Amino acid sequence: MDEELNQRISQLIDNELSHDEALSLLHKMRKQPQLLDKMSRYEAISHAVKAEVFLSAHTDFAERVRQQIQHEPAYLLPQHNPLLRRNYKMFALAASIAAVAIMASQAPHAPIEPFRAPDMAMVKPQTPAATMTKPQAQEEPSVSVAFRPVQQDQFSTRFNDYLQAHTDSVYINGQANFQSYARVAAYGRE
Amino acid sequence: MKQAMSELNYQGTVAFLKNGRLETMKYFHAAEKGVQQERLLSLNSPLREIVRDADKVSCLFKSTQQIVVDHRPFGGSFLVDMPENLDELSATYDFIKVGEEEVAMLPAYVVVVQPRDDFRYGKRLWLEQQKFLPLKVELYDGSGNTLEQVVFTELQVKEALPFVDVNLAQSAAAAGDVQHIHQLQPQSPDQATFVVGSLPPGFREIFFTRRSMHDSKQPVEHLVLSDGFASVSIYLEKSSPSGAQAADNFQTLGAVNFFSRTLGGSLITVMGEVPAKTVRFIAEGIKLRHSNE
Repeated sequence: MDEELNQRISQLIDNELSHDEALSLLHKMRKQPQLLDKMSRYEAISHAVKAEVFLSAHTDFAERVRQQIQHEPAYLLPQHNPLLRRNYKMFALAASIAAVAIMASQAPHAPIEPFRAPDMAMVKPQTPAATMTKPQAQEEPSVSVAFRPVQQDQFSTRFNDYLQAHTDSVYINGQANFQSYARVAAYGRE
Repeated sequence: MKQAMSELNYQGTVAFLKNGRLETMKYFHAAEKGVQQERLLSLNSPLREIVRDADKVSCLFKSTQQIVVDHRPFGGSFLVDMPENLDELSATYDFIKVGEEEVAMLPAYVVVVQPRDDFRYGKRLWLEQQKFLPLKVELYDGSGNTLEQVVFTELQVKEALPFVDVNLAQSAAAAGDVQHIHQLQPQSPDQATFVVGSLPPGFREIFFTRRSMHDSKQPVEHLVLSDGFASVSIYLEKSSPSGAQAADNFQTLGAVNFFSRTLGGSLITVMGEVPAKTVRFIAEGIKLRHSNE
């Protein structure tokens, strides 16, 4: 049974299910959250294999968007003038997009950022006060991130070197900065 | 679990979610007569093969044939670092079996390694029920949010697996180059120009050395602390204009937090896979050994 479900989740991701089959599976997912987690994992692997890019959305993302849209004031206003109504629709659409952007930027989980060239521009500055009041993961924007400007290169090199000396996970992530280690080889002792 | 990880031959596909990046790799662990080798093959660009023999990590980039041979201060595992003696962690972590789940179609026990304070992150381990190999490892913060994840999508235990010989000469001859990051001699922490005044419970000094880095004119002092699971590095170097700019500032990269401050003309940076609170706590307790500052 599990195997069959796994197969159908995989088919859903690949858009190979009929409308009724997809609907039935989605109903099951609503009742069994672990199936949603499974689909999320399959999606992650599928994206990684096919496109090297993966943006994660929370499992309740669609539900939160739906709830936000339900609370849009535009839907409660009188809509006598068709032109005015169209304007309200546009306003509602813009507000929804803004709401989605805000919700995405405040997602509680750690960010899963798109693949970037390996440089330490990924190190993001934070103010001490902000960092100490909340855990780091809650402070991190999940989609749009403002990085330090280019003149921080020297600054970034230092932190990249620190990271590489501290952990070998830089090899897994392909983030190693090997240039500086040419100098380490010159000064290091065997 | 640690015994299974070191003594069994196994291979599979692993997804690493670290520092905001997802990497899917083929994983091989070969073991014979107490000698073990880990090997990772990336499935996505930049294509590379990473081999760990004890404390030596070799990384071959397929496209450029560039090889980096890095002698780490101590050995470990690409999957999860486990201390030799779990009893030592009992003062700082609780180990709780919370249930059973399936990972990679294999039944697994779910074990939570719960920190007893907020100076460190917690871990969730999914251990395969027959061999106790880790099928999935999660690092989570105080709010329960997952910061890092390592998960097998398929795993096979084998009778034997071949050891790979990283043929540096042949690869270098193929127009690539080899960069060595040499083993640095451990020195006594007493030789450091700084002392760590306040350590969170369970952390102790495990390695100290001086190394040349980036554009520093003088060697950078590097002290490693560990509580058995989490490790923290402290770096001290002569402060430069860019260093002064970095001072009194937090940085974060995935689960890794950095905090820098200047002290007597030196830049001190504390970093590690611990909460921001911890790196700041350690950094603010650091004093110069021969100074009243």
